Amino acid sequence: MSDDAIRAEAEDLLKNGLQTDVFPRADDQTQIQEIIYQLQNGDGSLKERLVVGGFTLDPVSHEGLEQACETCMYYLVHRRYCELPELDVPVEAEWSCRLWRI
Amino acid sequence: MANLLWLQGGACSGNTMSFLNAEEPSACDLVTDFGINILWHPSLGMELGDNLKGLLQSCISGATPLDIFVFEGSVVNAPDGTGEWNRFAGRPMKDWVRELSDVAQFVVALGDCATYGGIPAMAPNPSASKGMQFLKREHGGFLGTDFAAKSGLPVINIPGCPCHPDWVTQILVAVASGRAGDLTLDEFQRPKTFFSSFTQTGCTRNMHFAYKVSATEFGQRKGCLFYDLGCRGPMTHSPCNRILWNRQSSKTRAGMPCLGCTEPEFPFFDLEPGTLFKTQTVMGVPKDLPTGVDKTGYVKLTGAAKAASPQWAEEDMFVV
Repeated sequence: MSDDAIRAEAEDLLKNGLQTDVFPRADDQTQIQEIIYQLQNGDGSLKERLVVGGFTLDPVSHEGLEQACETCMYYLVHRRYCELPELDVPVEAEWSCRLWRI
Repeated sequence: MANLLWLQGGACSGNTMSFLNAEEPSACDLVTDFGINILWHPSLGMELGDNLKGLLQSCISGATPLDIFVFEGSVVNAPDGTGEWNRFAGRPMKDWVRELSDVAQFVVALGDCATYGGIPAMAPNPSASKGMQFLKREHGGFLGTDFAAKSGLPVINIPGCPCHPDWVTQILVAVASGRAGDLTLDEFQRPKTFFSSFTQTGCTRNMHFAYKVSATEFGQRKGCLFYDLGCRGPMTHSPCNRILWNRQSSKTRAGMPCLGCTEPEFPFFDLEPGTLFKTQTVMGVPKDLPTGVDKTGYVKLTGAAKAASPQWAEEDMFVV
């Protein structure tokens, strides 16, 4: 599937009420590793990556920082893509996930 | 002719290995072209047993002038301050170090262990190791804060794990050729000529650093290693990307994150388990920021740079 098709599928899932693990955010190394471990040991499906990653269609503000994909270190601006190997998913700039980091 | 004596304490010989790989000048050039007379070296010295002991005593008595005393490895003080865990030529090494340092014109500490205590001095430091004049960041070390060699200079520290052969040979040549007065040392007594710039200075990934494009896995040739893979290049003082290793490359050029081995905290850096090659973050922001940058500035800069990043920065531009 193309990036656009996967992105559209992800958007549909989120718009149709897919409940994702938005909180707790990955504030420290232990929390990051727990989430990464879940992703590495899951089935790798798009749905699971969205749920475990805690994706939302709008930026989440946390501890005074707006955590949008467009400012995340894993985001490729021109491809509109999350390059974190465990997520590896096309996204939109205004989306957000709990593995956000700058 | 400058007499040089080289001893090892709590060491892995890594700095000796590095030194023996020197090319311009080589270890042989130091002898033939720069007038350095190597009295003894653990890998090169011919004397053994009583002959070696006699040579060391000759230096201490002044019968053999000792111009440069090079020490590699930590000074071992265990057990109970005796230094008996590291005996050499019939007595604790630390006793030779003290007496030889007192008579040498210049004392040079090579590598992290001799400089700051290094790996042997990591907590709980069972060997009670110290660097020659530092224990990690704490000034003093084995010889004490007030120590100065006969030339008036404190211990010249050349850290690194190992230190680059050129850092060693250039300092030895400067000292042996009477240009020690040109040396200026920083707060950790490192020659400023090598340790004022950062490891990042000259890194081929600087364009990716500027546009905030991260490498996310080893082996990627694009992307900066600081953002995700734990690289300490922006916070570490060394010329690793100005004076290349083997005249070819550096860790970061080859895709290996800088471990910060020229800084006193190496190798620990307060790392959480599993973060040796993972940039630690707090609330999504790197715990250790590039030297001189604060969190607010970093967040602003990163957001702007990310938005401005060109497409080529996201692609692998290296085609060979």
